[in-house]
Amino acid sequence: MASRRRTLLKVIILGDSGVGKTSLMNQYVNKKFSNQYKATIGADFLTKEVQFEDRLFTLQIWDTAGQERFQSLGVAFYRGADCCVLVYDVNSMKSFDNLNNWREEFLIQASPSDPDNFPFVLLGNKVDVDGGNSRVVSEKKAKAWCASKGNIPYFETSAKDGTNVEEAFQCIVKNALKNEPEEELYVPDTVDVVGGNRAQRSSGCC
Amino acid sequence: MDEEYDVIVLGTGLKECIISGLLSVDGLKVLHMDRNDYYGGESTSLNLTKLWKRFKGNETAPEHLGVSKEYNVDMVPKFMMANGALVRVLIHTSVTKYLNFKAVDGSFVYNNGKIHKVPATDVEALKSNLMGLFEKRRARKFFIYVQDYEEDDPKSHEGLDLHKVTTREVISKYGLEDDTVDFIGHALALHRDDNYLDEPAIDTVKRMKLYAESLARFQGGSPYIYPLYGLAELPQAFARLSAVYGGTYMLNKAECKVEFDENGKAYGVTSEGETAKCKKVVCDPSYLPDKVKKVGRVARAICIMKHPIPDTKDSHSVQIILPKKQLKRKSDMYVFCCSYAHNVAPKGKFIAFVSTEAEADKPEIELKPGIDLLGPVEETFFDIYDRYEPTNTADEDNCFVTNSYDATTHFETTVKDVLALYSKITGKELDLSVDLNAASAAESEAA
Repeated sequence: MASRRRTLLKVIILGDSGVGKTSLMNQYVNKKFSNQYKATIGADFLTKEVQFEDRLFTLQIWDTAGQERFQSLGVAFYRGADCCVLVYDVNSMKSFDNLNNWREEFLIQASPSDPDNFPFVLLGNKVDVDGGNSRVVSEKKAKAWCASKGNIPYFETSAKDGTNVEEAFQCIVKNALKNEPEEELYVPDTVDVVGGNRAQRSSGCC
Repeated sequence: MDEEYDVIVLGTGLKECIISGLLSVDGLKVLHMDRNDYYGGESTSLNLTKLWKRFKGNETAPEHLGVSKEYNVDMVPKFMMANGALVRVLIHTSVTKYLNFKAVDGSFVYNNGKIHKVPATDVEALKSNLMGLFEKRRARKFFIYVQDYEEDDPKSHEGLDLHKVTTREVISKYGLEDDTVDFIGHALALHRDDNYLDEPAIDTVKRMKLYAESLARFQGGSPYIYPLYGLAELPQAFARLSAVYGGTYMLNKAECKVEFDENGKAYGVTSEGETAKCKKVVCDPSYLPDKVKKVGRVARAICIMKHPIPDTKDSHSVQIILPKKQLKRKSDMYVFCCSYAHNVAPKGKFIAFVSTEAEADKPEIELKPGIDLLGPVEETFFDIYDRYEPTNTADEDNCFVTNSYDATTHFETTVKDVLALYSKITGKELDLSVDLNAASAAESEAA
């Protein structure tokens, strides 16, 4: 199943509650935005077929489902991620300051084999708010943070009006592909639990 | 916190997480808390460092055992019946999309000092060394009867009303020997005691059919499946289901204290100086020790090995049931083995568990018959823990306490407990024939 591994890309989106993680993935996958905020309800993971250099991939984007609000994501959420997207709100210094925590949490939980080179992408969201007048995190400050973490790619986005969302996810896909999968310890022969393989009654011929 | 919820769930063991998921899907507002900073509670899976810390008191495991994070050692080792109740709950809730499963390689029963593959059909009965020639023929007839039995088809009953005649009476009709009855009752029907012999035979026949159907499901060497990365995946998957439907999760909450009013009814939970209010509390026994009683103890050995269990045809995952009569004890003993094939150990490593209801104070002595089957072992950990059942009346105090996990290596009793508790909490039965995803898809199409 080596081909299966290389055609499915898992991307997780981390960041404080309310920075727009769910809206970003909905804007990218479904071209939708909802103004009404509720701490994430109903978001799970979304999939999108993407083409990159003549190859087709299934991108699986995992939302936190609200479990990040009280730091209650499990290790299973992090396992197998090919790229980690960090999101902050340019109008919230606290959400920017917490990026260090999110990055460290990812590295602890996911334990990538090459932590220094694991692909992260940073998104500064909500650049549309109040026409930019309530912005408190400068682009310069964010880029400096990215440089200090190994030149993480940075995009300023608006999930609301779609600014830079497509460009950001193109970069995310590209970086996810650069993540060489760990040597497969074992290629599991998994079973399809949902499959309707009805029990066959064996019959002796006597 | 400082909010109001319909239900507050304490402890993130598998039972509590299934309940949490089901209630959230029902539209209830759920808060789920755990004093630990990980999911799973008593039923979690530990990496090597945590395993060493828990059983050896320090965190330095020997280097030859490999990378800590590649270990996922279950604290409650159980396999899933491929057609069993837990699989039906997983499909019902679509939680399967968060998980990957692999078939378990083998299922064996211990008999007269040796282990034998468990035959589940008339064809296998004829090939089995468990029985002599004439007994094989009698067993074959019995297996055919069970296979052909359909509750709705009176012709298949052959004059027996299984809701009335006892298992003992049916067995007597087919003239089966004690050893045969023993493996059928304990390794096929998975009974834990011998009370089934004097109860209506319908339950045992249904269990035997479940075993055969599960075996046929994936054409594997056993009727069981097991998730990659171990069993702590299951509570996390159900917790995610709950969160997706609005459940709130708070790990690492010390001292979750249930608050009671003057009438003795629970009205909330206090943690770290804040109280969340609720109508009902669901928890594992450790959160309400005054409302549970001890009903037994489980003795367990956890062994790290670098080979499959001998005489299992190099199985990477296997269950062995040692019926109590073979050991002259009051309870069956269970051996559960899994390996790097299920991503629960580094390459080349196997993890075996030997479990039974404790009848003495020294697990090393008590578990010896199971441990002797394993061959050379690199490391062994012994554990003995109490099992609890609730003593309270939920109508009086709004508290719904789960039972502790038993020593068996399968989940049928676990799910039975969960479904019973769900009915008590909600007042309704769960219809497992409905696929929630398909149902909501149909709804959105109708809209």
